[in-house]
Amino acid sequence: MEERRAARDGGDDHDRGSPHAPTEPDARFTLANERTFLAWNRTALALVVAGLGIVQLLPPFPGVPWGRHVLGIPLIVLGAGVSVISYGEWRRTQAALRRGASLPRSVLPRVLAGTIAGIAALSAAVLLVSAAR
Amino acid sequence: MIPEDVEQLDPGLARERTKLAWARTAIAFAAVGGAILKKEPVAGLIVLAMTPLIWGLGRFVGHTAERPELQPRRLLAVTVTVVTVSVLAMVIALVGHPPTSLRDLLPLHG
Repeated sequence: MEERRAARDGGDDHDRGSPHAPTEPDARFTLANERTFLAWNRTALALVVAGLGIVQLLPPFPGVPWGRHVLGIPLIVLGAGVSVISYGEWRRTQAALRRGASLPRSVLPRVLAGTIAGIAALSAAVLLVSAAR
Repeated sequence: MIPEDVEQLDPGLARERTKLAWARTAIAFAAVGGAILKKEPVAGLIVLAMTPLIWGLGRFVGHTAERPELQPRRLLAVTVTVVTVSVLAMVIALVGHPPTSLRDLLPLHG
């Protein structure tokens, strides 16, 4: 609740006397947080394009007509997910900066690594099925 | 009264880096739009149209001190555009060919 209030008010009603009152953080921290968000969104865009490229540009796998969709569509969904999650994390980080609290840990590296590993395994499976037919 | 870290006087370099990050993001949209354009002209044009929007948002870097309440909306706009691109990509991937291509829009048949 306090977090949400701090994010909305932008620290306008802060009381500089107490250590945990929301204050506008150092501009450099705000800017660094913004750059991190933008970097994640470029990553998200790259994932979407990779997924679209797999579906549209690859020749179909022999014997596995759905193979390209099985690989490409999760990448597109992951792209949208990374963008949405990165916005939530930007907000939480900004709120933590205002309170002077420790920064929340990001789940994005785990989400990204997990999904990419999963898609790599799926690619191997599709290729094996294709080769077996 | 000179702080130990020179950047504390003016976060100019950090602001510069952030502006460049916005420019890279806008260029990424342009590249994606251009890549889609070849096969799906309408979807490609929609994505290309997002480029000036992102570029424009990047011009407000450093104005956050005066209007901090506007910053979440600027960044939310980026997420909304990325999600829009992924929905477009999903439609293209599932339908194969979205109902509208330039040829369908323009009365060029016959």
